[in-house]
Amino acid sequence: MASSGNKNINAKLVLLGDVGAGKSSLVLRFVKGQFVEFQESTIGAAFFSQTVAVNDATVKFEIWDTAGQERYHSLAPMYYRGAAAAIIVYDISNQASFDRAKKWVQELQAQGNPNMVMALAGNKSDLLDARKVESEEAQTYAQENGLFFLETSAKTAANVNEIFYEIAKRLPRLQQTPNPSGMVLVDRPAERANTASCCS
Amino acid sequence: MTTVRGAAAALNPAPAISFDHKRDAYGFAVRPQHLQRYREYANMYKEEEEERSDRWKDFLERQCESAPLAINGLPGNNSAIKSNVESTDSTADDSSNNGAEAKHANGGKPDNLSEENKEAPSASETKVHQVKIWAEIRSSLRAIEDMMSSRVKKVNLIKNEPVSGMRKKLSPIEEARPGKGASEEDSDEEFYDLERSESDPNLETLSADAIHALDTGVDSHATQPESLPPWKEELECLVQGGVPMELRGELWQAFVGVRARRVDNYYYKLLAPETNLGSKNTELDDRNRESNVLESVGVPEKWEAQIEKDLPRTFPGHPALDEDGRNALRRILTAYARHNPSVGYCQAMNFFAGLLLLLMPEENAFWTLVGVLDDYFDGYYSEEMLESQVDQLVLEDLVRQKFPKLVNHLDYLGVEVAWVTGPWFLTIYMNMLPWESVLRVWDVLLFEGNRVMLFRTTLALMELYGPALVTTKDAGDAVTLLQSLAGSTFDSSQLVLTACMAYQNVQETRLQELRNKHRPAVRASLEERSKGTKAWKDSQGLASKLYSFKKDPGSVIIGSDKPEQSDMQMNGDVSHLDSLSVDGDEEIDPVKDLKEQVVWLKVELCNLLEDKRSAELRAEELETALMEMVKQDNRRQLSARVEQLEQEIAEIRQVLADKQEQENAMLQILMRVEQEQKVTEDARMFAEQDAAAQRYAAQVLQEKYEEASAELAEMEKRAVLAESMLEATLQYQSVQNKPQPSPRSKQAQQSNQDHSPEIPTRKIGLLSRWRDRNKDPNDEKSLNEGQKLSPKQDNTNGHEVQEKV
Repeated sequence: MASSGNKNINAKLVLLGDVGAGKSSLVLRFVKGQFVEFQESTIGAAFFSQTVAVNDATVKFEIWDTAGQERYHSLAPMYYRGAAAAIIVYDISNQASFDRAKKWVQELQAQGNPNMVMALAGNKSDLLDARKVESEEAQTYAQENGLFFLETSAKTAANVNEIFYEIAKRLPRLQQTPNPSGMVLVDRPAERANTASCCS
Repeated sequence: MTTVRGAAAALNPAPAISFDHKRDAYGFAVRPQHLQRYREYANMYKEEEEERSDRWKDFLERQCESAPLAINGLPGNNSAIKSNVESTDSTADDSSNNGAEAKHANGGKPDNLSEENKEAPSASETKVHQVKIWAEIRSSLRAIEDMMSSRVKKVNLIKNEPVSGMRKKLSPIEEARPGKGASEEDSDEEFYDLERSESDPNLETLSADAIHALDTGVDSHATQPESLPPWKEELECLVQGGVPMELRGELWQAFVGVRARRVDNYYYKLLAPETNLGSKNTELDDRNRESNVLESVGVPEKWEAQIEKDLPRTFPGHPALDEDGRNALRRILTAYARHNPSVGYCQAMNFFAGLLLLLMPEENAFWTLVGVLDDYFDGYYSEEMLESQVDQLVLEDLVRQKFPKLVNHLDYLGVEVAWVTGPWFLTIYMNMLPWESVLRVWDVLLFEGNRVMLFRTTLALMELYGPALVTTKDAGDAVTLLQSLAGSTFDSSQLVLTACMAYQNVQETRLQELRNKHRPAVRASLEERSKGTKAWKDSQGLASKLYSFKKDPGSVIIGSDKPEQSDMQMNGDVSHLDSLSVDGDEEIDPVKDLKEQVVWLKVELCNLLEDKRSAELRAEELETALMEMVKQDNRRQLSARVEQLEQEIAEIRQVLADKQEQENAMLQILMRVEQEQKVTEDARMFAEQDAAAQRYAAQVLQEKYEEASAELAEMEKRAVLAESMLEATLQYQSVQNKPQPSPRSKQAQQSNQDHSPEIPTRKIGLLSRWRDRNKDPNDEKSLNEGQKLSPKQDNTNGHEVQEKV
């Protein structure tokens, strides 16, 4: 849950997606700027944290990189519960991984936090020749489901930082703003009237 | 046999492997941030390792001496140990040969005899099957193995019932591969014995009678090892102190009871379809890895793609996992998936199998994996991962109880222990701790034969790092710290000894109680979730249900039974639609009875409608409840706000009052000051007025004085005038009465002093003088002349007066 301090926000972010879609690689690229061809399979989940500065605030991402295999699904709620954001990753060269991504979106919509910022990442965008999922299709799906969509490549680093920055920008922050601003609005005209009468 | 040696050499890291700067003694990559610490500990590990091998050597030697019938075999065994220590390559031959000799010599025990019988064929078998990669462990460990194997038997005996119960569930798969299921389920060591005695590699010929005979045989068998414990405690200590590297592979096999588990040829049978598929596989590699060739193959083959994906992701870059190593890994994982289709392949097994392959030949690794997964971690890596979740709840209980302060802090930060410990348990600490520590934990875990060591290790880690964790300020920091601290637990002895000594009271029986306590809740939530996923199922799911129903001939009772079964399968497959559709397709009977379909659909529709209605009602209820809660919440918030505001107002009032008081006080002071000022001002004014008055008075006096002095002057003039007049008169008189001038003048003077006679004369004189002045200036002149003259007279007069006075 994004807890808003004055300018520092801690945001829990969870990565979900099919086996080998590149969740861990995305995180590794974002957090350490590294890429390895064969990333060790993630068992259960792995944790990372990284801070980004957006406009006037800093967002500290607490990133849970989950295991992709079907059966680890049963552990996923533990990690996406209370998350402020999620990146659902699929492999553009693998149609099945896109179908799986849709399932994740459904599950998050049904069981996750309703204010969760969700991003759809079509990973391995460097594998253009092997493309199986058209970006238009994914874009349309993302729009229909209120996600934002980017094609990323952990290998070339394309759009990796961008997707995290975009999430950071969309995080609901300063949740208490409505009250103070309301008070100010009520107070100001009165003051102005006073001063006006004084001055004239 | 040469193939055996080759494979063993390829996969077993030589104990004296050089310390690569990025890889540890086992060939595993060391993380860059840990390199420094690893180097610091590398020497300690070496020392420990030396100590350890001495202690074990000593123990094993004594073991052999004390073995009741081993006197003849002693020299042979001893030489075996020596040769083992010398080189691992030759052990495969030596130990089996020596073992065989020793057992020949023993002869006395019936089971030893049978073992000896077994051994001979197994040795010959290895020569017959060229691909076979299997080696007996050295005979010096036989006693340990026997003791441990007794555990295997017992577990399996107890397990018999649930296994047979499970078989019903698995029946569709058995149908797919007739005959094989039977051998799978009863893979007890009994077959092993029997098969040896028959020396018939064909398992499928086993009759039910044979199994019976074996069961009874086992009972007597099982009681025997109970008499062994005197050295068991010593062994336990040794294991906790660590297992020497060159014995580790074999000791692990002994702990798991590989020889007792092994069913001859079983592994190859499992891989049999692989021979066709194997060639296909290499093609697959060359072509495109993710092309879906698998639908046509049997159900377990759905794992094929996943296994294939994970092969290069298992210890990437490890020198031993070259192409041969990966092929072996693929075979083991595939064989296990076929051996236990209800579990299939689960990520994490690739790491276990990889590790085992590094320590032992392929088939040994397979049987060890089977032992670990089927016994130690039963229910852990299955589709629902039920036991894994149960264990996390149990662990949370324990951590909560042992480290209340730490848990409080973690609760406060919003950190769940299971986030971190879940992966610890699932990987059995692989990749979570430094390798030396992982292996030490595995030593104890495999020895103990249950998951207790998982718990003890986590508790030890919490004990070691809890104090640091309590200082963290947010969830991210806490998790990062715990991960990195665990990752740098290089002091493996400290860890293992803390785990085993400080948490000795964490026992399997207690864990079982706790597991039983938590299991229903986990199961319930799993069901809840699978219901949720079921709701998302598209028509395909329904169709598979329909067809599974249709397969049974019409009767309602069976009909209601069957869907349940398929439900179970679906729950198992947790929303995996692809696999579902595969299952469904398999069950689809090409013959379609439309009527039945319609009936079934109607029933299903009714059910669904009812479900929907109740769900809607429930939703409404929940919504109103939610509204109520929100309202209450709002009210509470509002009242809290009001209270707060009121308090603020009161405070402000208080401040205001204070201010006013202060103001009053200031005013008073000001007034007083003002008054004083006024007073002083008045005083000043008075003083000024006084001064003015005085000045005025002074002036007046001055004037008066001047006036007076003027008058005086005039008077004097007048007096002078009068005198002169008097003189003049006197002179005149004296002129008239010359004879007696002086006495008269004296008299006149006297009369002047008397005033009375003087005044009229003066008056007359004055008047006349005035008249004279006005009438006749000449007179005046004369007067002036007279006056001019007078001073002289006056002077004389004065002299005279003075003389007279």
